[in-house]
Amino acid sequence: MVNVFNVQIFFIVFREALEAIVVVSVLLAFLKQGLGGATQDPLVYKKLRKQVWWGAVSGVILCLILGAAFIGTFYSLRNDIWSKSEDIWEGTFCIIATILISLMGIAMLRINKMKEKWRIKLARALTKPPANKADRFKIGYLTKKYCMFILPFITCLREGLEAVVFVGGVGLSSPATAFPIPVICGLIAGVAVGCLLYYSGTTTSLQIFLIISTCILYLISAGLFSRGIWYFEMHVYNNQTGGDAAENGSGPGTYDISKSVWHVNCCNPEIDNGWDVFNALLGWQNSATYGSVISYNIYWLAIIVVLFLMHFEEKNGHLPFLKNLTLVQLNPMYHIKGKKKNNLTKAEQDELFANLKNTKIGGDEIDNSESIESSKEVKEVIPVESEKKKGSL
Amino acid sequence: MRLLSLLFFAFLVRFIHGETHTWYFETGWVDANPDGVFEKKMIGFNGSWPLPTLRVKKGDRINLYLINGFNDRNTTLHFHGMFQNGTGQMDGPEMVTQCPIPPGETYLYNFTVADQVGTFWYHSHTSGQYGDGMRGAFIIEDDDFPYDYDEEVVLTLSEHYHKNSDELTPAFLSRYNPTGAEPIPQNILFNETRNNTWKVEPNKTYLLRIVNVGRFVSQFLWMEDHEFEVVEIDGIYVEKNTTDMIYITTAQRYTALVRTKSDTSKNYAFMAAIDETMLDVIPGDLQLNGTNYIVYDDNNDKPEAVTVDSWEDILDDFYLKPLSNTTLFDEPDLTVTVDIAMDNLGNGVNYAFFNNITYTRPVVPTLLTALSAGEFATNELVYGTNTHSIVLQGGDVIDLVLNNHDPGTHPFHLHGHTFQVIERGPAFPDDEPTDWNATDHAEYPEYPMERDTVYVRPSSYAVLRFKADNPGVWFFHCHIEWHLDQGLALMFIEDPMGIQNNPEQQLTESHKNACNKAGVPLEGNAVANTNNYLDLKGENVQHKPLPTGFTARGIVALVFSCIAAFLGMAAIAFYGLADIPDVEARVTRDLNVEYEDDIADDEIITEDQPLRGSQESSRSNRSNRSGKVRI
Repeated sequence: MVNVFNVQIFFIVFREALEAIVVVSVLLAFLKQGLGGATQDPLVYKKLRKQVWWGAVSGVILCLILGAAFIGTFYSLRNDIWSKSEDIWEGTFCIIATILISLMGIAMLRINKMKEKWRIKLARALTKPPANKADRFKIGYLTKKYCMFILPFITCLREGLEAVVFVGGVGLSSPATAFPIPVICGLIAGVAVGCLLYYSGTTTSLQIFLIISTCILYLISAGLFSRGIWYFEMHVYNNQTGGDAAENGSGPGTYDISKSVWHVNCCNPEIDNGWDVFNALLGWQNSATYGSVISYNIYWLAIIVVLFLMHFEEKNGHLPFLKNLTLVQLNPMYHIKGKKKNNLTKAEQDELFANLKNTKIGGDEIDNSESIESSKEVKEVIPVESEKKKGSL
Repeated sequence: MRLLSLLFFAFLVRFIHGETHTWYFETGWVDANPDGVFEKKMIGFNGSWPLPTLRVKKGDRINLYLINGFNDRNTTLHFHGMFQNGTGQMDGPEMVTQCPIPPGETYLYNFTVADQVGTFWYHSHTSGQYGDGMRGAFIIEDDDFPYDYDEEVVLTLSEHYHKNSDELTPAFLSRYNPTGAEPIPQNILFNETRNNTWKVEPNKTYLLRIVNVGRFVSQFLWMEDHEFEVVEIDGIYVEKNTTDMIYITTAQRYTALVRTKSDTSKNYAFMAAIDETMLDVIPGDLQLNGTNYIVYDDNNDKPEAVTVDSWEDILDDFYLKPLSNTTLFDEPDLTVTVDIAMDNLGNGVNYAFFNNITYTRPVVPTLLTALSAGEFATNELVYGTNTHSIVLQGGDVIDLVLNNHDPGTHPFHLHGHTFQVIERGPAFPDDEPTDWNATDHAEYPEYPMERDTVYVRPSSYAVLRFKADNPGVWFFHCHIEWHLDQGLALMFIEDPMGIQNNPEQQLTESHKNACNKAGVPLEGNAVANTNNYLDLKGENVQHKPLPTGFTARGIVALVFSCIAAFLGMAAIAFYGLADIPDVEARVTRDLNVEYEDDIADDEIITEDQPLRGSQESSRSNRSNRSGKVRI
């Protein structure tokens, strides 16, 4: 059985594929739901959807190249540069991924609440190049325009790299015939889960779907944060013991007792089949450290606090206890760039009011509904703006 | 006539009682460069290193005043192989037979060599010191040596570290060395130096006294074109056994006759090599072989190194027959079986165990407990539950079965005795340690080999037999000092009442002085309790084992984390379901986008429409809109 199907390879591929596919399918479902339905803007939708796929594919290609490079240096130069710094690589990837997913998740939750038209507007605005050609290369612009590209790219790159290097290393002891089937099976299993997620996402209510998928994303992200910290601590311990402690299995001596919160000699995500999936989805470690446990809890605490602050500000217009402060003002970029843009001058405000008055008078149904919306929007805009003006003064 | 008889009497007395040797040795650090490539400090006597070779004759008395010349550490001295019959407190191991000698104090080692002859050695029995240089050869000459020889030569072998024990031992016994990997030496020494020259004359018979004074590795020894005729091991004469290669573990001695050639046209190599199976890691720059020179004629070239094809051709000391023709001792009165294993305890450090007990030193030296415990001295409990003390009855025959569950070779040494090695198993694979089978074992030899330090093969077993005819507290331990530091030791409390009843065994003034100055109690059980010898509350015990599963702390952490995740998801759901009045404005502001003109429904593109709707409708719609909404 082992000669045609190496169980370890299956689980490695399945686990890596799962994380990447969850992120990609949630994005795709979000796009479909957000820009799908009766009022489609297929061009923008297609553009963004293409971005996601391009991100995923180029991530996979790049990871194959990098993985091949690692394996090549390992075999030819006998220099296992991957395993010497493996924990740093893994840890850094995890932290980057968790930051990206966290930001994306919050953005998605808020975008969810926008009316459809505004989502479309947003989508178009994100994909439209700025008038000034020089602005095309501004980082702010690029990250916004290609945000649908960046997240799948980084995720697929990270997961794929881990998979390629693991399989390349694991495969040393297995005959070549044991490769293809488990790899294919692992990919199929991962894709199946992704399809399930996508179709369930596109058929249920957007709100419910988004909430559920955001929960999943954040569970993964919390797990990633905890894992990142765990990898860094593992790296420190490996340096102190002068070797790769994890290679000695799960018994005593594979972990630092002074930092251990719990340790069981089984269920090790690095070597026990199946537990690595648990680790990928929820951040399970058989040997948890203070760092990994505390970071997990701090992550959730941070999410809860941020959500609470956002909700409070949205309901009341300012942060709790600080009447003049809003969340966006806590962002340093706001003070550098955004201030000017967000404040209408008196003249512009007058112009806005004048236009509003005009739109209220007459017009067809479309105009009315539009105007009601836009007036509502303008009404809300102005008080906020004036408040902000107060604040900025 | 009377004068003659007086002289004769005096001569007889001196002949019977032997000479008395009085030495004063002060320990201290000495600058040295033993392997020629690294200056370091070694522990010397009276300001010089290496330590002197001490020569005595059978029956002589030793008066060695050991002065602790250190200012920051204790010291002790052990004469390896001496039976110390009736003089237990002169044996040396700290906290076993004596209090440690604190800085500035002097301890008198006063004992008779009695009937023992042969090649022995002396070394510190305080952790780390003999590896740092406090070791030397101790030769007991025998006027009735059974074989003829022309000249005697002493050869000491050891490994050499560039760092001292002050650095090596804490790094070794640390949770960052969880596998218990012993530090790797930098070189091996041949008579405390390297590339040594032995000037020989042709057609002579030399008596080569070989001592391994190292603390870790065993060595292979072979000479180019010359043979060893082994005549003595560990002070026991044996029937001559000729071999090309000797395998000698730490603390063992081999005395061999070497007959030189008549031809002086060539010089020959004398090779020593580390048993590399004992090293965890072999660094690329470590020279495993050491080449030394047997020089017949200075004018000829120095010899080149010679290698061997296999390590199999060593002399297996199991088959050496003692010259005394001592037969196998009677059936044992007591069989002690111990399993040797290494494992980590709760502090993450790797320890060594005899039957799950790692030797943990008591508060009072065990011999002092035996002397002061009165009638309780025969109760093993008074010596502590973690010192692995086994009380023996005087006169009993004891079988000691060693089951080595560790995939490493261990040289075990028993103080106060030689033992018969009646069985030794072959090496077994690492993952299948094999125990000695009491019901199905090989036949014991009629004239078993006898010595005081014997190795057990990896994952294998050995059986030792000795007579409890020497009342005293005798340490039994692995002579790899790293393993002794890890606690691979136990104690035989042999005939404790016999110890008490012998006036010579009572503590000397020098000993009491050392105890007082060192702050070590002179009486009491393992925890210095003199009122109730059976009350061991507060005794030194080994660390708790590592937790094997979830502790309370772990369960709390796991539950907390799950709660945090659920609360987080609840927060997400709550936020996701809540309505925000002006979310569009916020999002566009936060994402810092610029919208182009407002978009009407009919501007929304479906796939079969052109990009922009009819100009007219767009114009008309546009005119009613506000301009650019710059947000």
